[in-house]
Amino acid sequence: MNKLFNRWLPCVTLAAWSAVLLVFHFNGRVKDFLAPTFRPYVPIAGVILGLMALIFLLFRADASCCSSAECGHSLSRLATGKILTFLILLVPLTVAATFSPDSFGKTAIENRGITEDYASLGIGRPKSLAPVDMPLPTNDPTPPAGTPGDSTQSNQQPPAPEPAATDYLVRTPDGNIVAEVLDLLYAAQDNVLRKDFEGKRVQLIGQLMPDKTSAAQGARFKAVRMFMYCCAADSRPVATLVETDKMPDLPEMTWIKIIGTPTFPVENGRRVSVLKAEKIEKTDPPEEATLY
Amino acid sequence: MDWFRPSFPDFAFSFLSVLFEGIPFLLLGSLISGFVDVFVSSERISKLLPRNPVAATMMSGLLGLVFPMCECGSVIIIRRFIRKGLPLSSATAYMLAAPIVSPIVALSTWQAFSAASQNPWAWTGLRLGIGYLLAVGVALIVHRLRADRILQPSNVGGSGRRGGLNIAPSPTGEAQDFSAIVASASLPRKLLLSIQSATADFLDVAFFFVIGVGVTSLFNTAISREVLTPLAESTPLAIISMMGLAALLALCSTTDAFVAWTFVPFPPQAKLAFLLFGPLFDLKLFWLYGIIFKRRFVTLLALGLFIVIAVLCWRIPTEVFLSGN
Repeated sequence: MNKLFNRWLPCVTLAAWSAVLLVFHFNGRVKDFLAPTFRPYVPIAGVILGLMALIFLLFRADASCCSSAECGHSLSRLATGKILTFLILLVPLTVAATFSPDSFGKTAIENRGITEDYASLGIGRPKSLAPVDMPLPTNDPTPPAGTPGDSTQSNQQPPAPEPAATDYLVRTPDGNIVAEVLDLLYAAQDNVLRKDFEGKRVQLIGQLMPDKTSAAQGARFKAVRMFMYCCAADSRPVATLVETDKMPDLPEMTWIKIIGTPTFPVENGRRVSVLKAEKIEKTDPPEEATLY
Repeated sequence: MDWFRPSFPDFAFSFLSVLFEGIPFLLLGSLISGFVDVFVSSERISKLLPRNPVAATMMSGLLGLVFPMCECGSVIIIRRFIRKGLPLSSATAYMLAAPIVSPIVALSTWQAFSAASQNPWAWTGLRLGIGYLLAVGVALIVHRLRADRILQPSNVGGSGRRGGLNIAPSPTGEAQDFSAIVASASLPRKLLLSIQSATADFLDVAFFFVIGVGVTSLFNTAISREVLTPLAESTPLAIISMMGLAALLALCSTTDAFVAWTFVPFPPQAKLAFLLFGPLFDLKLFWLYGIIFKRRFVTLLALGLFIVIAVLCWRIPTEVFLSGN
């Protein structure tokens, strides 16, 4: 019995924790749980825990804190207490790892409250949009005139005109702007960006949720995405309103692709983002289901 | 109950995400603790800080600026330092201050509250300044108390208590002195002892971490935040409710400013209270502090911090938080 507690259970515990971390890293599921900054630590911790399990298994400890006066393990010295300890260390983690979905469900989203106001997020310009002075590459294969890689240009040539702001936006092969929910929410409060989106056709992916707040003409619903600061526990649902002639006959939380035209009307004294949908169809979740 | 709607899948998702975020830091803390256990002598630790206890405590409260460490990792390290002879007041000052008085927290607070009409310097300065004063204040009170009255018996020097997980085989026969074994060990052997000590620490603290994360994940996903909105109209009620929420959510101090900012209807005093109380005390920390201090002390610490922070924040005028533009 002593050997079970001294050697095997710690080994199994460390190995199980290591396995969960490494499995979630290698199957890519960790991206749904953590923001990119924190992801690299997961495989590192998994490997270290695995090594610790191995060391514990291979090398018999002839001294440890438990054999010295400094030992402070505060748990029970009874066999049942030790079993309970290892059950708590093992069962919740393995059960959660086995049954956890890769996103929050409707209940958590409703409990957290859906945000449609970009300012309430307390963050700067969305990462999906290029910074004003550092444009993102476009899908347009023709490079803008005056780019550093253009060898045909001589130094004597006058500087090329600044490319239009819309050149910075990523487009689908059909020419629709690929927009994220955060982009439209940001555009609602940014005069310059609003002009880049207003009246253009965009493609947006989100989860379908009913709109219970705004009282406007036509059928409205929300296209929701989760926005994560650090880990899923602190993530917040963000949404843009979508206006359509006919509500899509799909269950709540279904991933949908919307093609439509963004508008930014002032409602209840606040400028909001309303996507006038032309086409709504069911789609797969995007590779990065969460926004950062 | 509209305000409390638990869902197992949401719970599991939140639980796992906090574990994934916290385990690496818990592990880092355990490895540092194991290293300190074997490679840093008590004598060396006693030379690290000024001899004057007040100066040492005040300096310890600032160490988070140089050695930033989240609350999960710092508890393990501090327990090891206490056993190694670091003055309890210095250890307490670092443990409480490090999650707030840190460059990462300063940056995130500044960024979260740098929106128009807010004064990010005031938010950051008040958070770090009051957090530091509270940590040092508590530490100086701890300095006046007898260690055996507030510490778990196993953390009081020379108690000779054994037990707990007992994850490593005990030596047969006479109890061996760990320091003597370390002193005579070769470097590879010391590394092995260090890892074994780190393993023991990790498993010990992970047990409380799992419980704490489980409880907070339940509240994090099940409580409807809409029920808090009516409380925003009264500043004292808003402060109390936001502090209660901080304790239930147990967010990481490096990102909680972004979450606090989202409570738009709440007065700034309530948000500051959220930012001060959360890193100092939450449900997860209740379990983690319990491996160092007696539960009675942890409970009194929570109550004391709750009252002091509530009163302090309540007295701060709203204009302080707003930009002059």
